[in-house]
Amino acid sequence: MTSISHPASLAPAPSRPVPRDWSRVIAVVAVSILALVVISPLFLLAVASLKPDRFQILGDMGSFRAFWVSDPSLQNFRDVWTFSGALPFGRYLLNSLIILFVTVLGGVFLNSMAAFVLAWGRLPGRAVILTALIALYIVPQESIVLPLLTIVNRVGLSDSFAAQILPFMASPLYIFLIYQFFIQVPRDIYDAATVDGAGPFRIYWSVFLPISLPVLATVAILLGIETWNQYLWPLMVTQTDRARPISVGIASFFGHDSVYWNSAMAASVMMMIPVLIFYLAFQRWFVSSFISSAVKG
Amino acid sequence: MSIDAVPAPGAGRRGALFGGRVQEAAMLLPALALIAVFLLLPFLSSFRIALTNERLIPRPVPPRFVGLDNFQNILSDHEFWVALWNVARFTLMVLPVQCGFALAVALILNTKLPFRNVFRGLFFLPAITSMVVVCVIWATLFQYPTGPFNQILSVLSFGMAGPVDWLGDPRFAMPALVLLSAWQAYGFQMIVYLAGLQGIPESLYEAAELDGANRWQRFWHVTMPSLRQTHIFVLIITTIQAFKLFTQVNILTQGGPRGTTDTVVHYMFTAGFVNQRLGLASAVAIILFFIVLIVSLVQRFVVRDRK
Repeated sequence: MTSISHPASLAPAPSRPVPRDWSRVIAVVAVSILALVVISPLFLLAVASLKPDRFQILGDMGSFRAFWVSDPSLQNFRDVWTFSGALPFGRYLLNSLIILFVTVLGGVFLNSMAAFVLAWGRLPGRAVILTALIALYIVPQESIVLPLLTIVNRVGLSDSFAAQILPFMASPLYIFLIYQFFIQVPRDIYDAATVDGAGPFRIYWSVFLPISLPVLATVAILLGIETWNQYLWPLMVTQTDRARPISVGIASFFGHDSVYWNSAMAASVMMMIPVLIFYLAFQRWFVSSFISSAVKG
Repeated sequence: MSIDAVPAPGAGRRGALFGGRVQEAAMLLPALALIAVFLLLPFLSSFRIALTNERLIPRPVPPRFVGLDNFQNILSDHEFWVALWNVARFTLMVLPVQCGFALAVALILNTKLPFRNVFRGLFFLPAITSMVVVCVIWATLFQYPTGPFNQILSVLSFGMAGPVDWLGDPRFAMPALVLLSAWQAYGFQMIVYLAGLQGIPESLYEAAELDGANRWQRFWHVTMPSLRQTHIFVLIITTIQAFKLFTQVNILTQGGPRGTTDTVVHYMFTAGFVNQRLGLASAVAIILFFIVLIVSLVQRFVVRDRK
């Protein structure tokens, strides 16, 4: 592994083309093996979800049979895909998707609108608001969830979609990310729009939004992943299946004497599929959005 | 930082300016209102609640002001210190494992390796896997006595080391959580390191090569010093994440066995949500906030120091 672990080690060496080709092949094979080992748990999950017998899943796990399914069956998915019953995963998945789409669409819209006013508006006190937002960004979600629960209970939003959407749509971090993008937009673009007599919302909507797709995609992906993976908050705020997301649903397999691994595996695959589809479609955006979330640090 | 972006006032007619301001307020308000109600208000009220004996579900008797009793109770509670120590232990174990592996993979991906974008996509997959799903998979991997980890252990030790109840043995529960957490999260650090590596100018390596530095020396004397800022950032982010450790603990161990995987957030959850002691839990939340604040300030201080 050390032979390929340095940028300079594979620098062009035109005098010896043949051995270099071999070293590249070896490097690719070695890295492939490493990658396969690292992602093998995900492969095991996919295979196990196709085995209908929960005892067989556990028995196979310790041997190479874990990598193979002789008679694949979608029975686990059929069992889990219900909208009523003990664990209605169809409903949980639908709940999660509803929460995801509303939070992401609303979040991108509200945060970018606020960021536009903070970056280009004429409202007094913008600098103060911005400073306050940056200060609030540091407050971890974990340390406000309990008081938040009392507030949500008091206004009658407990066990609802709204309780899982409204608190997370607007966020200091995402306002700040978009703000940083907006202030780099050249002055001329804003001035040209003002001369045309456009009001703030018009300028935001038809001039700034269309040129901000990269940062909006970043915010959508980060907010989307965050929303999809919420666990502590929905665990506390949902008491029934009405608005319960799939993360809490899957966790409820645990804590019994015997876990229904076949169902847990199928439900886990169901939870991964939407993320995988987005990831495969927008891989580049995923990676770059993680970088920009890091750079702002 | 907003100063240079402020457009000169006085453009347009007075009425248009006023109309524009109303519109601006209407655009700013929804986000600010949500943040005020769902972030600022709970944050401020946690300081008030922490000084009372308030319950999660209100009792007929109104909550009473108890001063700093909650903080005193926490700081004299052995279980809280165990939870804090567990989180510190988790951090110390997860940092080298997670960041070391992330750096190693980033170094590999930063070469002229063929298909590197495909590999990057594969290595990033665990990072997009939800922690709940990770728990389902890894619970079967750690399974006692015939799970894959026990099989590997048995093969590597020629059958000498017996099967280990990874999640049920006080000695191994925390290392097991460290492994699965590192696996889930290293992709983020990998991407950050990759960005850091790509920022190192090629000329530094060429100069080192001219000086006769071998690959190992180039790594220690060019790559590592150039990554200083990246290291600090990764260190801080990983530490903050580690202090918020909850999901895996809640699902897999419930803080056990014998409190060896109890964490600060799990302690808070148990006190506030399970035992309904909202005042006490709010005090824990405030302590957690100050820990995160101090770690973040250390980062700001260290980074600014060298600029």
